[in-house]
Parts: sequence; structure tokens; C-alpha cells
Amino acid sequence: MNEAERNPIRSLPSGVPGFDTVVGGGLPEFSFNLIAGGPGSGKTILAHQIMFANATVERPALYFTVLGEPTLKMLRYQRQFKYFDPDLAGSAIHFINLSAEVMDRNLGDVLARIVSETERAKPGIVVVDSFRTIGGQSGSGVPPIELDQFVQRLALHLTTWETTSFLLGEYAVEEQRNPVFTVADGIFWLSQATDRNSVVRKLQVIKTRGRAPMPGLHTFRITDDGLQVFPRIPEHTRLRHEQQRRRLSTGVPGLDEMIGGGVVAGDAVMLTGPAGSGKSTVATQFIAEGLKQGETGVIAVFEEYPEDYLARADARDSEVGDMIRSGKLELIYLRPLDLSVDEALAAILEAVQRLKATRIVIDSLSGFEVALAPTFREDFRESLYRLVGTLTATGVTVFMTAEVPEGFSDAKFTSEKVSFITDEILVQRYVEIEGELLRVMAVIKVRGSDHSHEFRLYEITENGVVVGGPLKEYDGIITGVPTLRSLPSRPKRSK
Amino acid sequence: MSSPYRSNDTTSGKVPAAREIVRRLIGSRPRKQQRGDTGARAAAAACDSLYRELSRWVGPDGCHALFARALAETRPQYPALEKIQLRARSEPYIEGIADSIMASGDPATAEALESMLVRLVELLGRLIGDDMAGKLIDRTFGDSEQSSGDTREEA
Repeated sequence: MNEAERNPIRSLPSGVPGFDTVVGGGLPEFSFNLIAGGPGSGKTILAHQIMFANATVERPALYFTVLGEPTLKMLRYQRQFKYFDPDLAGSAIHFINLSAEVMDRNLGDVLARIVSETERAKPGIVVVDSFRTIGGQSGSGVPPIELDQFVQRLALHLTTWETTSFLLGEYAVEEQRNPVFTVADGIFWLSQATDRNSVVRKLQVIKTRGRAPMPGLHTFRITDDGLQVFPRIPEHTRLRHEQQRRRLSTGVPGLDEMIGGGVVAGDAVMLTGPAGSGKSTVATQFIAEGLKQGETGVIAVFEEYPEDYLARADARDSEVGDMIRSGKLELIYLRPLDLSVDEALAAILEAVQRLKATRIVIDSLSGFEVALAPTFREDFRESLYRLVGTLTATGVTVFMTAEVPEGFSDAKFTSEKVSFITDEILVQRYVEIEGELLRVMAVIKVRGSDHSHEFRLYEITENGVVVGGPLKEYDGIITGVPTLRSLPSRPKRSK
Repeated sequence: MSSPYRSNDTTSGKVPAAREIVRRLIGSRPRKQQRGDTGARAAAAACDSLYRELSRWVGPDGCHALFARALAETRPQYPALEKIQLRARSEPYIEGIADSIMASGDPATAEALESMLVRLVELLGRLIGDDMAGKLIDRTFGDSEQSSGDTREEA
């Protein structure tokens, strides 16, 4: 059957970033939907956002308010959001109060009022908030069969009048035998869960007729702009871009040679090391080198304020600041303590696509993990696997830093939690030689390529990290306290 | 210009705009009567019309709450409002107009009702914004055109 024979259903844009992706391409036109969730879960905001995105004077939206939040208060609060356009209220959007009909507990009157207002305005969108108060509560006195018939007739009328409708209600998961769940074409479930001190909001598409929604729970956030949904990333649904194993310079003198000619384009690279070892410095050099080559980049910082990061980067390489100002480089600051991996990915991907970035720095994974809501920290490995997979699938080269605790009696090369997701692993560590604390670097892994197996000294200079020579005359570097094997002279430090 | 019908001026800086809206609203009421009490009747009709239209948006109870506060705040300055009663979910919404006209006269009653409406428009503007409040009132003008025979006649 071809496209025309299928008579495809047109999709309405929800106006909610990320929502259409989760729903499977937008809201089916003329569908009868339920937006369910507990108090404060964002039902009214979602409905308003959809309404303001679609209402026109020719095809207005009718927002029926019932008992519950008084309309005056709802308008007062809703207009605080940026999507609320007061010019549309009264012309393209009409608020209609049904409390009189509902208080009489006469579903026939409620239906008649909704139908007559629909016939009068010929709306494109109809919202009933809260539908639950119309008769869906136990003890409401409305016989179930009457409620069944009411829902059936309402759905029939609204669809016949070619409206896309949304019923809002505070339903619990165990109430899914309510007739409205059966009749609804789409069910969108909003929830918020508290875990320790953080609150995480999630959206689940229970069903959308005629669409293939993304399964699972998708986090969302409510800001002044309204809802923003962060679709849960499916595991590697896209093919990784074909790279020609092109090598990218790190911008760190001496390091490219250790890696075998530079970082492989499209790889996920991780640099681990203890505090103060210069991880962020190398990461910034990696980005700065890309900028020098005419590439664009994105830096996601989790441990420092962007101003501090920029000031430090500018002190070494004034081009970094210039590139940010000229839009070649974007500094993303993600430091809330209730972040989800999907939200971070959405922010990074948006910047990558906008800048057509080829290099990304995530500085650092340790800070990233701390910024996540506790519930997501439990799934950090799995989430990071999806994040890195999605980013590298776009063809960008991802450079991540991770802090590992320094122990002089053992060598912890990488953060064991996340090393499996990387193609290349570089490590930094401190060693004590002749009573002085020096820094060494080694390459642990470069997938599919030869690389240096030496520990090399490096220094952090005013121009950044500079890699020096190997410590060939020492044994036991891995312990942090090497011993001189043959030559009595102190190792030469790089200039 | 001070009014002889009110004890002191409690209006805010937004009054000119609100009063202008209210005067347009009252002016849009049909005036078929030729008796001397036209002003008060037109103001009362405007109140009824506004109550009806606002109730569609914010519900009869929400609308009544607004009117009740406006009346409570205006009454001390306008003795003509002493006999005015609000009847939620009733037609007409404003009662006691005839008694008020008889006791205080048409001009005093008309000005008192106008000031009550001004107070209401200001209150609505503070709650949902002046622009949206203005839009709601605008819809009431449209409503008056639809029901042009809606001249208020209270016994």
C-alpha cells in the first residue's frame, strides 16, 4: 500500500521540544487524548503549550475549565510562561468555565455545553481541565455506565467536529480501567518522583493510535519556556558515520606521536588522572587545536563555572574566547543536581548540530555524574554508553576527562565504570622522583591502532601541557615511586 | 475633577485606562429608555453583561468573587451602592438599582456603578494582566451587539 492509499493522518506539532519525537512524529490530528498525572506534574502546562502552538483565529482552541484550579489563578500563573501569548487569548483561544454544569452533576448538560460551544467556535483544539472532576472519581455519584456513554459521545462529537482534544486528569496508574483510557487515542502520562533531594519529571506515552511512539520513560523539565522533553536515547539506532580513520591533532606537543599520529576522528577518547594533573588543560588544547584547523567545537563543563573555565582557557589561548564570541565554539554549562543524561545529551546535541561541531569535550565525567539526579547515577554506565554512542554516531570526536584517585601503592588507570565506552584511553599520574612530584602520561588503548607504550613526563606550562621524554631508566613507574635502574642522572624535563 | 457623589478618591494610577474601558462598556449598552434614569440602568446592564461574559471564562463563582470585592471596596466611597446587591448565578445579577436610584438619584447611582466596574477592571488587570483584562471586556462589547435588545428593565 502506498502513502496515498494509507490516507496518512496529519501530525500537529505540539510546540513542546522533544515531545513530538517521543510521540512518534507529532500529535495525530483529530485524536482524542488523555493527559494524566498527579498534582503538579505539568498537565496544564503541556495542554497550554500545545494549545498556544496550534490555535488560530480561524481554528481556535477552546479550553474548558471545570472544578479544580480556579480559572483566574490558572490564567495568572500560565501567563508567566513564555509560550503564553495574551494576544491569542480571547481571539484564538477561549476559556470556558463548566463549573455550573458540573456542579449540577448532570453529564448531559456538560456534554451539551461542550458540543454547543464546539459547534459555535469550530475549534481545532479542545481541552477539558480537569476531566477527572466531571465524573471520574469514585463516590462522584455518576454510574459507571453513564460515564462510559458520556466519554463515548464526547469522543464521537469532538472527532466529528474535527478537533484534536485533550482531557486532563489526575489519574493513578491502577485506574487504567476507567473508560476514558479505553476510548482515548493517545495517553500521555506525566509523573514526578522524588529521590533524596532531587525531583525528576518523566513522560510516558502509554499509547498513540496510528503512531509508533518511543517506548520508555522520558525525562522532562519545566522552565519559563514551558515543558521540554528529553527523549530517551535508543541504543545505537543510527550507524556510526564512516570515518576514514583520519587523525586529529590534540594540540599537545608530543601527545599525537604517543597516540600514533593523533586522535582518530569520530572516536570517544577518555583522559583520566588525579586532581591537578592537567586534564582540563589537555581537553581545552584539543578543542583549541580544532578551532585552529577551522573546525567547530562544544565544551560541556560540569565542575567549573563557565566564566572561570573561559578565563583559564583564555589565559593560555586567547583564541578560545574569541571563538566563543564568534560562535565557533560553545561552552555548555550543566550543573544542576537533578540532571538526566538525556537532558545533557539534548543540550550537547543541539549545540553540535547548530555549530556543525566536530569536536566535543565533556569535562568531566566525574562532575557529570555528580550533577545527575541520584536516580540516574544508578544507571550511569548504561546512560553514558547511550550518550557516547549517540554522540559518536553523529561523527563527532568526543574527548572526555575523568578524575581517578591517586594511589601510590596501586595504579588505577581508568575509571572502571566507563572505560568500556571509549576507543582511546590516556592516563596521567603523579610519580615521585628524587623527592619531587612529577607528572607522567601514558596511552593505554587506541582501538585498532598501534600506540606508544611508554610513560612520558609532561609539564603544564603557560602554553598548556607539553609532553617530554620517556622515563626509560626507571622501573616501577606504575607504582608512583620509580626506582633508578642504571643511569644516576635525573631525567631531563621538557622545555 | 472631584465627584460630589463620593467621599474620597481611592482610584489608582491606572484609572484613566480602566475608566475609559468601563465608559465604553457602559456606552455600548443600548439605551432605549427615555426616562431620566438611563445612566444607572445602562451601568447596571453593563454589570450584568460583564458578569455573564466573565462567567464564561472564569466561572460564575470566580466572577462573583471579583464583583463582590469590587463592590466591597467601592461602597464606602459611594453611598449609592448601599442598596446594591449581587446575586450569583441569577439574572439580573445586579439588584437594587431602582431602590438606589430612588434613594440617591440616577447620576449618583450611575457613577457609583461605574466606579465599581473600574475597580473590577483594575483588579482583573492585576490578576491576569491589563491586556488580557481588556480583551475580556472587549468580548463583552461584542456580546452587547449580539443581544442589542438587552436593555435592562428591573421592576
